[in-house]
Amino acid sequence: MNRRHFLGQSAAAAGLAFGLNGKASASALKSAHIVVVGAGYGGATAAKYLRLLSDNTAQVTLIEPHPQFISCPMSNLVVGGSRQLGELSVSYNGLVKNHGIKMIKDRVDSIDREKKTVKLASGQTVKYDKLVLSPGIGLMMDRIEGLEAANKAGVTLQAWNAGPETVALHKQIAGMNDGGVYALSIPLAPYRCPPGPYERVCQVANYLKKNKPKSKVLVLDANQDVTSKGKLFKEAWAKMYPGIIEYMPEHNVMAVDAKTRTLKFEVQEDIKAEVLNILPPMRAGSLVVNAGLADSNARWSNVNFLNFESVAAKDIHIIGDSIQVAPAMPKSGHMANQHAKVTAAAIIAELSGFAVNPQPVLTNTCYSFVNDTEVVHVASVHQYVPAEKTFKTVPGSGGLSPAPTALEGTYAWGWAKNIWADSLV
Amino acid sequence: MLRKFSMQTLFLSAVFSSLALSNTVAAQEVNAQRLYNMALAATCANCHGTMGVSVPGVTVPMINQLSASVMYERLMDYKTGKSEGTIMPQLAKGYTDEQLKIIASVLGKKN
Repeated sequence: MNRRHFLGQSAAAAGLAFGLNGKASASALKSAHIVVVGAGYGGATAAKYLRLLSDNTAQVTLIEPHPQFISCPMSNLVVGGSRQLGELSVSYNGLVKNHGIKMIKDRVDSIDREKKTVKLASGQTVKYDKLVLSPGIGLMMDRIEGLEAANKAGVTLQAWNAGPETVALHKQIAGMNDGGVYALSIPLAPYRCPPGPYERVCQVANYLKKNKPKSKVLVLDANQDVTSKGKLFKEAWAKMYPGIIEYMPEHNVMAVDAKTRTLKFEVQEDIKAEVLNILPPMRAGSLVVNAGLADSNARWSNVNFLNFESVAAKDIHIIGDSIQVAPAMPKSGHMANQHAKVTAAAIIAELSGFAVNPQPVLTNTCYSFVNDTEVVHVASVHQYVPAEKTFKTVPGSGGLSPAPTALEGTYAWGWAKNIWADSLV
Repeated sequence: MLRKFSMQTLFLSAVFSSLALSNTVAAQEVNAQRLYNMALAATCANCHGTMGVSVPGVTVPMINQLSASVMYERLMDYKTGKSEGTIMPQLAKGYTDEQLKIIASVLGKKN
């Protein structure tokens, strides 16, 4: 048998429809109710792939309070004003119409692990056999004194979940005086989207350079250095935004005074700014925290990386930004989508009476815009290492762009449109 | 061994699939293998679309028109450094040859 013949045969065997034939196991799969909470990059993908990989036999309910998906990746372009939020928004209709997923527009308030139910804000209770939680991140507002009050007063914004705040932040920047200061504070890692803050200051500086050239951008980083794509961002700042972006490492914001728009630090002098974009430390989404499942430093959830099941709770799988990551695993939308696929396959395997895949693989691809067209990427491949029960990046694989290019700018939009479709359509 | 992907298990999966065996150990292994293979190929879908079918008009190179054998050769060329690119040379190096073969068999053009 030549290779062409072999590949043709196996390709046919591995086609889209691959009914799961085991009779006993198929009924277990059919009768189980799988509830997915959160329809972002992780949850939406989990719901879709639970249906796809079960040949549409699994019963899947997806619970999400928002009316539509709005992407965090690309949303820095909205902060900088070169794109509109509508360009990053995707309807949930595809999940319902194309994949037969039941969607409930509501928020899950609590989980009863004994009864295996979730309670919704409406008061409704939903029973599950398997629960997948993808609630994203929670912002630890109380870690910065005065932040909640400053937020309420409209003095500070985060815009770290894409939506109305993203637009509001752009409006604040557009309303700045020429010569004003925009300050972005970055918490200690780990936080959602490692390169996100550095991309954001590129977008803000790109806007200010064109519209308010006397203005400044202060990057107040609690970390010792840029946490992702450092050389590429620093080169872009020096070349594209000289005199506009000032990078200040080891600046950990301790307090904010809303009245005087002043930030206070552990040791450094106070800093005042016209626009204060303050990112506090982050942890797992509040649903995970309140359910007692943030069992790593009371911030993130420890999971079994073969199926993303919580180590603290049977039949509850946690994916995306809420987990305690493996080494070098970023908290990204792309990674959440990949968690979802491993989890969906593992749940189907378990309900079908199969062993779960003993060697799952994850990839990450992340594009960052340094202006409104040119882009740099970081990519990685994470193979499960059974002996260490974790994912590790493969030596010699992955890497960075050598420099920003417009070609990668077009790839970034291709990535966005394809991952939105892969997760939601 | 089930845990090791091989040409033989892939070929067996094709044979068993066509025979539509049900509720046997062999069929379960085949179904499990097929599930693993689908999930492995789905690592590509973020950029290249679900099952390699891209959204029309996007600039990410289209892969769903490649035959399985051509796709495997392209992937190996990225892995070995014979072909240049932006991301694919970096990602291909992270997969084993067997994994790339499975990905090509799942995503390659069916007709």
